[in-house]
Amino acid sequence: MENKVLKEQVEKLATSVNGEVEEILGELVLKVQASNIIETLKGAKSFPNFPCDFLHDLCGMDLVDHLETVYQLSSLRGPQRLRVKAIIDRENPVIDSVTSIWQGSNFLEREAYDMFGIKFKGHPNLKRIYMWDDFEGYPLRKDYVTEPIEVRNIVRTRIEGE
Amino acid sequence: MDVALERQLREDESLMEKNFLVTNLDNLLNWARGHSFWPVTLGLACCAIEMMATGGPRYDISRFGWEVFRASPRQADVMIVAGTCTRKMAPLLRRIYDQMPEPKWVIAMGSCANAGGPFVDSYSMLAGVDKVVPVDVYIPGCPPRPESLLYGLLQLQYKVSNPAKVRLMKHGK
Repeated sequence: MENKVLKEQVEKLATSVNGEVEEILGELVLKVQASNIIETLKGAKSFPNFPCDFLHDLCGMDLVDHLETVYQLSSLRGPQRLRVKAIIDRENPVIDSVTSIWQGSNFLEREAYDMFGIKFKGHPNLKRIYMWDDFEGYPLRKDYVTEPIEVRNIVRTRIEGE
Repeated sequence: MDVALERQLREDESLMEKNFLVTNLDNLLNWARGHSFWPVTLGLACCAIEMMATGGPRYDISRFGWEVFRASPRQADVMIVAGTCTRKMAPLLRRIYDQMPEPKWVIAMGSCANAGGPFVDSYSMLAGVDKVVPVDVYIPGCPPRPESLLYGLLQLQYKVSNPAKVRLMKHGK
């Protein structure tokens, strides 16, 4: 019942941002292009009856021909759940940052940047969060090749303030 | 038997009855060191849970005299590296080791600290802490049970108490 009402709203939103709606295992998935992401998330946050106003998780994905960021939305005041996926070009991985909507996405976006090299436009402090600053490459991309063990066993000196 | 040595031993025994013990200073110091390790709490991953269990009342590390887990390296003399050491952590591990006062020992606890363990092919992994610090005792296991850690510490105790014997064993004698 609730899912039906939410689905209507998501479909309405999808037509306005030019996205696709799927339902996978009872979970609504909205796929949009990277350029429409701010508009989509703002829309989802202000659904009239079921605002999906809590960003549960944000992560990157590598699907070989393109990259994706996945936004898991839910609410503290209801059971509604929505998954938004933004399709990003692999050659030029740039997407708008959602830190203006959810402050908590700060570290999550840094993680996606660290692991996949997705650049978040408008992020206040976009630098690596897990790997060290002078690490080369993005380790969770499918085409990343791990360095040989002889190279990995060389102990690096720590940069002060890292 | 040498008469002089015999007499010496008898004198020692008579002293023992009066609660005296004769030894040399080196032996005394090594004995004291081996029975009062102060480990620095270097829990990096899941092995730290086993290390905590060893410190808890069931396994009770304090009955051996190694009770005092120190949060500061300046007050510790043995470093139990419990868990995965990443390449980002390695310089910090070295720094903590450098901050410990002499004499100091290192125990590598668990497969990760020994040789990289299941993560050896990962991009962020340092395959064994012996690349950074000199390790005295390796404890295998993933994670090792508290008994293993206690056995490892007993081995270190043996090593510290009998340095000459251990040196000979190292050369196959």
